[in-house]
Amino acid sequence: MVKGVRFDGYRDVGHPVTTAKVYDAQGADELLFLDITATAENRRTLFDAVSRTADECFMPLTVGGGVRTLDDVRALLLAGADKVSINTQAVLGPELVSEAAERFGSQAVVVSIDVKSGVVWTHGGHQPTALRPADWARRVADLGAGEIMVTSIDREGTRSGYDLDLVRAVADAVPVPVIASGGVGRLDDLVDGIREGHASAVAAASIFHFTDQSVIKARAYMRQAGLEMRIA
Amino acid sequence: MPQKDTRDIVTVYRASGEPTAILNNLRRCTKCAIPETQETIVFDEAGVCNVCRQQEYKQSQIDWAERAREFAALVDEYRGKHDYDCIVPLSGGKDSTFTLYELVTRHRVKPLVVTFDHGFLRPTTLANTERTIKKLGVDYLKYRPSWKVVQKLMLESLHRKGDFCWHCHTGIFSYPMQIAVKFKVPLVVWGEPSAEYTSYYGYDEPEEVDERRFNRFVNLGITAEDMLGMLGGEVTMRDLEPFAYPPPAELRKLNVRSVCLGSYMPWNVKDQVEIIARELGWQGAAVEGVPPGYEYEKIECAMQGVRDYLKFIKRGFARTSHLTSIDIRNGRMTREEAARLIEQHEGQRPPSLDVFLEYVGLTEAEFMDIAMSHQVSPNAHDPGAVRPGAPLWDQPLWDRSR
Amino acid sequence: MIAVVDYGMGNLRSVFKALEAIGEEPRVTRDAADLRSATHIVLPGVGAFAQCVANLRATQLVDVLEEQVRERKKPFLGICLGMQLLGRDSEEGGRHEGLGWFPASVRRLHGDVGLKVPHIGWNDVRAQPESPLFKGVRHPVFYFVHSYYMDCENPQLVSATCDYGITFPAAIVADNVWAVQFHPEKSQLNGLRFLQNFLSGS
Repeated sequence: MVKGVRFDGYRDVGHPVTTAKVYDAQGADELLFLDITATAENRRTLFDAVSRTADECFMPLTVGGGVRTLDDVRALLLAGADKVSINTQAVLGPELVSEAAERFGSQAVVVSIDVKSGVVWTHGGHQPTALRPADWARRVADLGAGEIMVTSIDREGTRSGYDLDLVRAVADAVPVPVIASGGVGRLDDLVDGIREGHASAVAAASIFHFTDQSVIKARAYMRQAGLEMRIA
Repeated sequence: MPQKDTRDIVTVYRASGEPTAILNNLRRCTKCAIPETQETIVFDEAGVCNVCRQQEYKQSQIDWAERAREFAALVDEYRGKHDYDCIVPLSGGKDSTFTLYELVTRHRVKPLVVTFDHGFLRPTTLANTERTIKKLGVDYLKYRPSWKVVQKLMLESLHRKGDFCWHCHTGIFSYPMQIAVKFKVPLVVWGEPSAEYTSYYGYDEPEEVDERRFNRFVNLGITAEDMLGMLGGEVTMRDLEPFAYPPPAELRKLNVRSVCLGSYMPWNVKDQVEIIARELGWQGAAVEGVPPGYEYEKIECAMQGVRDYLKFIKRGFARTSHLTSIDIRNGRMTREEAARLIEQHEGQRPPSLDVFLEYVGLTEAEFMDIAMSHQVSPNAHDPGAVRPGAPLWDQPLWDRSR
Repeated sequence: MIAVVDYGMGNLRSVFKALEAIGEEPRVTRDAADLRSATHIVLPGVGAFAQCVANLRATQLVDVLEEQVRERKKPFLGICLGMQLLGRDSEEGGRHEGLGWFPASVRRLHGDVGLKVPHIGWNDVRAQPESPLFKGVRHPVFYFVHSYYMDCENPQLVSATCDYGITFPAAIVADNVWAVQFHPEKSQLNGLRFLQNFLSGS
């Protein structure tokens, strides 16, 4: 389980299953697993991690990374994921989004959008497209995505805050929930993501791996700031 | 939800001409002295923190007689069915010593007492434990993990979390559970519930000392499996076994219950210390950075001063805030007296830091870099304001092997 | 033994593991004999209404369910689609018929400013005072993920509600039949406590 800084330069941050149990115990609302290498052998590890996590953590689990076909979606759902995240393939073959939504329900389909320098990038942040984030978000929502996750590649792992303009542009463009991702460094960033970014949910990783902050503190902080947070 | 600004105490002091840096410009509970940087703190409309509210609840809403009956029933359920009636983890500090005393004398159990030795037990504690186990007449197991592994764990934990005590937190809470499984003694009885000092748990329900709690805060969010990857080949999983929580299935099979005595009787540190002093000859000792009068607190660890220093750098408060807040909540001290003691005693550099730096091979500059990188906003530590603290009497006796 | 009905739709493994975690003996099955010998029956459900009903009918277990649950009054828990299936009909993907155990129609949630559909996430559940569902659950908050809700004509049957734009039934109870819109197997400790209540209280 690796945390990337700007999708390059990885550091080992712990075992995915036991880390998931920690977040579960601390009352995180959802877990998100992203298989960043998506090689064939990694698939086995991923499926194993998903199953073992689903076996012990009774909380929503979204899994993504290298999802190319309807069979990939089904396999991950069967392994224990509640939602499957599609990223590159949504651009290469958007019909996967609508097929998956039809077969498994919109609520099981998350489309993940990575953004750098104002446009959508695919292949783990290595290939630019000509797509603008809000337009693309609108399209995939129309296709049936139940949720959209927007990640700023520029900010990811830097702990310098979300790209709030980006998050807001996407959140305001679509009728489905938007998850903000990429850049959380202070607990205030989480509050900003909801308030300024209009996100329905805020995702963070670096801040929990590399600082003395915890999910519990983050939740308490957000509650203190006046956001409605479940007491967990 | 408008929050009452609690900087009023700074204003009060400014008006009276006293120094204003005493409370580190941190918003503090309007009742006790704990600031906004504490891990679980939430202030309500009156500016009172959740730990204070938990104490109020504890002191007025709990049917302690009913809880006592529950505990007696629990102990009876397990009594006599195994080689030992229960396991009592013992650090040798005031809480675990009282727990053992209570279980043996009032509840008449035959316990297996287990000490996970973190490697920093001070002479007074060792002497206390000798007296305790002899006077109470109990079977005693003590376990010490490899110092070389511990050194690596301290450094890694310090880097990642600004807290070098990972091996201790995890060992203390995992190892007795492993013994429970190995010896087939399913009941484990701990001392104070965390609800007494933090809000990971409340007082409204008995606190189960289980894997969820372990993951919730004990292990700093890092499990033994995580640490294996983090140390990248420097250690093996065998080396980390002492710090690994037993799998839930194994504990379920044995019907393990792991509870806090303090969930079933109102924890009262002052009374309890009096009892163990009188009955077991338990003695206190001075600790670094703490006012006189608190010689019962955290005496069992030689590295307590460094630990508190790190907390001060990260969060802007330390043990004096903690201890005086307990006194405030129990009506033994006013908030103004607390502020004075905090100003006097917090923010000192512990001489034991020199020993710690040797143990982990860091310079003080490196240590400060790491510590400062873990500051919790809005705390802004001022290294220039730190004064040197007084050394502990036993520091010259500590083994300095590296 | 608790029978978890396998009709190809639903988070079976999570439900199974959640029941195991609270010390029970669950069995994922599509065997009529298992439904007959079980002490409790759980019907999970994820996906689209029409597909769920079709799949369930294809297992040929509907008769056994009717017999065991409605006649023999065996304790039964329907989760999410497993709740919606029990309604008369649904407007999801056209007009489709359900099992008709409850006088209810399944309707779409309407999105609004700031209220996105699907309703995904944790939300507060308000239980009727005498409801046995949430005993020991201090803050009844559960995980929801749905775009449709049960519009139940008989308010007496609604044991708990949730607000999302409208107030909709979070739980419908009729004697031995419990049906919930939220996912107890995804609601951490609250969910596990709820499952314990189902197993002990119904």
